[in-house]
Amino acid sequence: MRNYKYSFTSYLFILPAFLLVFIFLIIPVLQTFYYSFLEWDGIKEPVFIGLGNYLRIFSDDNFIVSFRNTIIWVVFTLIFPFAGGLLVAVFVKGLALENFFKSIFYIPITISFVATGIIWTYMFSRELGVINNLIAAFGVDKISWLTNVPLNTFAMLIAWTWQQLGINMVLFLMGLATIPTEQIEAAMLDGAGKWRTFIHVTFPMLRPITTIVITMAIVNSFKAFDLIYVMTRGGPYNSSETLAVTMFRETFTLSRLGYGSAISIILSVIVIAVSAIYIKRMASKDMLYY
Amino acid sequence: MVLKKSILYIIIIILILIWLLPIWTSFLAAFKSPEDFINQKFYELPSEFSLIENFKNVFSIYKLHRHFLNSIIYAVAGGTIAIIAASLAGFSIIRLKPKFNFPLFLIIYSGTLFPFQIFLIPLYKMFNTIGLYDTRIGMILFYSAICIPFSLFVYRGFYTTIPREIEEAARLDGCNSFKLYLHIFVPQSIAPTAVIALFQMTWIWNDLLFGMILTRSRSTRPIMIALASMSGPSGGTIIPYAMAGAIFTSIPTILLFILLRKYFIQGMVLQISNE
Repeated sequence: MRNYKYSFTSYLFILPAFLLVFIFLIIPVLQTFYYSFLEWDGIKEPVFIGLGNYLRIFSDDNFIVSFRNTIIWVVFTLIFPFAGGLLVAVFVKGLALENFFKSIFYIPITISFVATGIIWTYMFSRELGVINNLIAAFGVDKISWLTNVPLNTFAMLIAWTWQQLGINMVLFLMGLATIPTEQIEAAMLDGAGKWRTFIHVTFPMLRPITTIVITMAIVNSFKAFDLIYVMTRGGPYNSSETLAVTMFRETFTLSRLGYGSAISIILSVIVIAVSAIYIKRMASKDMLYY
Repeated sequence: MVLKKSILYIIIIILILIWLLPIWTSFLAAFKSPEDFINQKFYELPSEFSLIENFKNVFSIYKLHRHFLNSIIYAVAGGTIAIIAASLAGFSIIRLKPKFNFPLFLIIYSGTLFPFQIFLIPLYKMFNTIGLYDTRIGMILFYSAICIPFSLFVYRGFYTTIPREIEEAARLDGCNSFKLYLHIFVPQSIAPTAVIALFQMTWIWNDLLFGMILTRSRSTRPIMIALASMSGPSGGTIIPYAMAGAIFTSIPTILLFILLRKYFIQGMVLQISNE
């Protein structure tokens, strides 16, 4: 029972949103795709070089370092914020001071990545930094956290974990709330210890949430930019860059617009492929079609 | 049992201390004069209270207050335009159901799929060509555009929950589509609007990347670019100023969080289910 009387108005209602998104987001995506086949410094006439940029990427040592760092980010954001968020959620659930404990882990979520980067630059700074002064109490020498490879990536991952753990904790707490307590109690009655109950009952039942958190960790670590930009600018000598930072430097520092476009296309393909796993899950649950 | 419980508490308390350490030490540094900061240990209390002095210096050297104003304008205007455009579109897609409503939704929604890097070069070129580069109006338009896909996703989901009967009754009373939207749907959407406003305004406030690419002067650059310029690997950072800056620029988002914590968590969950 479609009512065509309202047809014109109904398109008019969609128009502002559609135009804004189409002009500022959709057209740029198509343009970037086209630019990725060009040799272009943004000033001189662009030259069409076909797959030239893509072929160059795989022989570019800098890209390989950047790609390796991105993989390190993916792996460690899975270990630290994921495992940490799960552990904290399981730990604080049902404690007397649950809300107070939760609030502590929420606070960093409200702080921007730029501010997080600034705070942790101080924490890790060599002479007056908090960490070096703390470990000095145990007789450890001063460490140059942010200029040492691969320590700098590790340091930034700690800052990242500090900021992101709360989100994962919230999600896991939501997941835990959906598990019927009878199931857990039944397992305990059967003589399974706390640890075995967790491995065999709780964790498998958290699977929907686990999928979300893992997908999100992978997607977000591919996108990581702000924190790295603030803490190391990708240095020293591009050693701590990830793909998002490399794209930025190639484009806006070195004016290689075609090459930068190719990197962002590769980045997008990876991110969309990973998200697709999640979207497929959502679609299979008919959430997209309500 | 008691032993197990106390071990649990000890682990949690250690974690909490680790989580509080950066907050506590950065506050302490922000209260110290640069001289105190160099001469004292990080945990020592300042010999004189210098927070106000540090703020003054942050304003006069880095002009943070001016960028603060820019970002307030972007967050409020960008968030508001996105809310109006997305709620109208969501209402139409779900309730008026014109032909191609689902493909239209998918096109708009697809804006959230891409990593931001894919937008940068064409946006930079486009802004320079049509005279939006380094203008407030350009930033407002862009920020509204990038907030629309997520906002539409939320409204679209929410509007499916409003019962059809209300709509039919209003139609019988002679309500046209716009009146129906304004008098029936808008008043009922306070909760999703709070979630969206909070979340998108925080996002605009915290943005670094697009502000860096699309603006250059003091009267247009958002706050986070100014904050990022206070610290960096090339040295010259005055840590008490940088900490004062980090605290100053976090005030709006922390306040929003405290005031609307319930909505903040709802929004976060929605954002995640949107990824």
